[in-house]
Amino acid sequence: MSDLSAPGFPEEEVRRRARAGAAAAFPPAEDYGHVLFGAGRPEPADHAALPDALDALRIVPPLFLPQRLAKLIDLGREPDYRDVELSTEIGGFTSALPVYASATGSTRAAGGDLGLALSRQAGALGIPMVIGENVVPVNGYGRLGEAADRTLLGRLRAYTEELPDGLGGVAVQQSTEDADAEVWNLVHSDPAALPLLESGRLAFELKVGQGAKPGLGGMTVLEAEAAAALGDRFGLDALFGDGRVLRTATPGTFTAEILRQQIRLMRNNYPRVRIWVKLYPGRDVAEAARVAHEAGADAVVVDGAEGGTGWAPGVFLPHVGLPLAECLRRLAAAPPPCLLVSGRIWEGARAVKSLALGARAVGLGRAALLAVAEDRESGLRRFAECLALELRLLISALGKYAPQALDREDVWSPEGF
Amino acid sequence: MTDATPLPPTDPGRHLTSPTTRGALRVQQQLLTAAREFLRGRGFTELLPPIIGPVTDPGARGSKQVDIDFYGHRYKLMTSAILYKQASLLAFDKIFCIAPNVRLEPLETAGTSRHLAEFHQLDVEVAGASRDDVVQLAEDLVVHMVDSALRELPKEFAELGRDPQAFAELLKGSFGRMRHAEAVAELQGVGHPQSADAELDWAGEALLSTRRDRPFFVTDYPKGSRGFYDREHPDDPGLLRNFDLLAPEGYGELCSGSQRTNDYAEIITRMRETGENPQKYRWYLDLVREGVPASAGFGIGVERFTRYVAGLDAVWQASAFPKLPGVVSP
Repeated sequence: MSDLSAPGFPEEEVRRRARAGAAAAFPPAEDYGHVLFGAGRPEPADHAALPDALDALRIVPPLFLPQRLAKLIDLGREPDYRDVELSTEIGGFTSALPVYASATGSTRAAGGDLGLALSRQAGALGIPMVIGENVVPVNGYGRLGEAADRTLLGRLRAYTEELPDGLGGVAVQQSTEDADAEVWNLVHSDPAALPLLESGRLAFELKVGQGAKPGLGGMTVLEAEAAAALGDRFGLDALFGDGRVLRTATPGTFTAEILRQQIRLMRNNYPRVRIWVKLYPGRDVAEAARVAHEAGADAVVVDGAEGGTGWAPGVFLPHVGLPLAECLRRLAAAPPPCLLVSGRIWEGARAVKSLALGARAVGLGRAALLAVAEDRESGLRRFAECLALELRLLISALGKYAPQALDREDVWSPEGF
Repeated sequence: MTDATPLPPTDPGRHLTSPTTRGALRVQQQLLTAAREFLRGRGFTELLPPIIGPVTDPGARGSKQVDIDFYGHRYKLMTSAILYKQASLLAFDKIFCIAPNVRLEPLETAGTSRHLAEFHQLDVEVAGASRDDVVQLAEDLVVHMVDSALRELPKEFAELGRDPQAFAELLKGSFGRMRHAEAVAELQGVGHPQSADAELDWAGEALLSTRRDRPFFVTDYPKGSRGFYDREHPDDPGLLRNFDLLAPEGYGELCSGSQRTNDYAEIITRMRETGENPQKYRWYLDLVREGVPASAGFGIGVERFTRYVAGLDAVWQASAFPKLPGVVSP
């Protein structure tokens, strides 16, 4: 256990999944034969502070199932949910599930052994992992004797040690302040990253802002002493009045041309590395996604304004940025071929709805951290087993057998979407 | 050709006493002597460039800078002298320097025969010059340097096994010129998958170089392949007024240069386009804001140029104490 909590997020359900694994996809087995279930059971939407358009959608299986017939012919027997093949191409990597571990940066919540445990378990699962911004400028890289459990190199090693052949991959973020520390060049020339580079499992993620606080840069709270060690690389604001200070990174300045050229420069400088671009849920997210894709990004990541592992001003979460559902709606006309989305993903329905609306895969942020916090050894593995079971159940119910087969027909809302 | 191995001997004594090393270093000395003679003759002032500073050239493709602790401030070893070259024009209109550069190149470059983690650059900068002015200057300079080495060191060339006839075309001048887009088309035409938005890759450069009998310039590289200081074509946005000089016979790039941008707002915008944080360039930006002359210039890789002229298998043979990427060495 840890002192981690996530108000407004279905923390207890996530923790139950981290303990019970796939069994948590169902009501407690001891209720079987004694309890009658029906509408009125708590819905995921009840956990949200605001109504959520994605949670309000229903997944609508058809009665006639031509794709199931094709699978039946292929298998020579009636298919069931276990025949759903979940492995997915994500941003140039092969993932065991249509799922990746979202960026967790230098914040206290994601630091220390929690970040390492998350890296180990994500590696063992064979799903891609994003290493967040500011880890190097704040915690160091790890080659010069810094405490390994906080550094980028520590997380990289923990992940690769557990990684099965041919699966997964690491995406290393770089923000404006990370550029000063040359995070990408550092990773690119590091012997520890060579196996990932040579097996095509290294990506660099250009970070365009923050999902939980669109328009602002990264923020953490530091003790005065730790803040002083950062010199003038970050903004520091002693507004808490107790010796602790707010450390802020800048959001960076982008125009279409700046984004386009930064991506081209990444492709020029790192031809063997995959290029991911992470966008905050701004009102021009569809235009930015188009520019990123056309400039050659292997994946476009959209982080809906649903929450995060970092520190954010109270006024932002309820008031700023597009919710994930609206991002997907705006991207629907021309979604980038590899669209990755995150934002309060923790169970199969929200994931399947996102995939049906154009996403290639979904990111686990808070859910992954809570699952690891519940059990450092196997919490995320059990949580992912439960999620994988739900994905198989839902996708097979739609008469489909791969996440890529999902489309807009598979979801419904009274207002239309 | 020499009996070179892909890696330098681990014993520095063996390397220093090798006839190939001695011959290569004599050729190098003559090339630099000739360069000084040529540039002084044209009114250039030689400066001694700084080795450390709060910021350095970010334009080096995929290589890492070296951080040093400067009394509690993070300083860098120079990856190139570009920022200081522009600034130096406040003192003299035509400058040159022989500048040490350190770039922690990606590990894979240890085997390219053309990358060193530590190398020198003959840097030239001219106030008020255009890209085409310095292309011509680079051509004249290279012809003079090679001519001088051939005249002064016939014995060394014989010992190195380098046939002076290899330079018959070079000595006539009139190096070829092609635009980056033409180079891309030629490479794609022979089945090499060269991106139109990127630097020519190493294999592509070698391929073009093998197909030619004298050095040639490639001009007008696209934005996104170079640093923020190369000037963009005002009437052809997306292309830069820059150039590389490539050697024939497969030796590849010898020199890079450009007309520089000296407009403050353009430099800041281009810094963002190259992912840089303008804050760390404060001294340079303050200077640009007050005004630095418009200019153009280039840098010739001294060890690479020596390798080409001496006909060496690998660039490390042109260094007395070579540092290959990732290889622990004296």
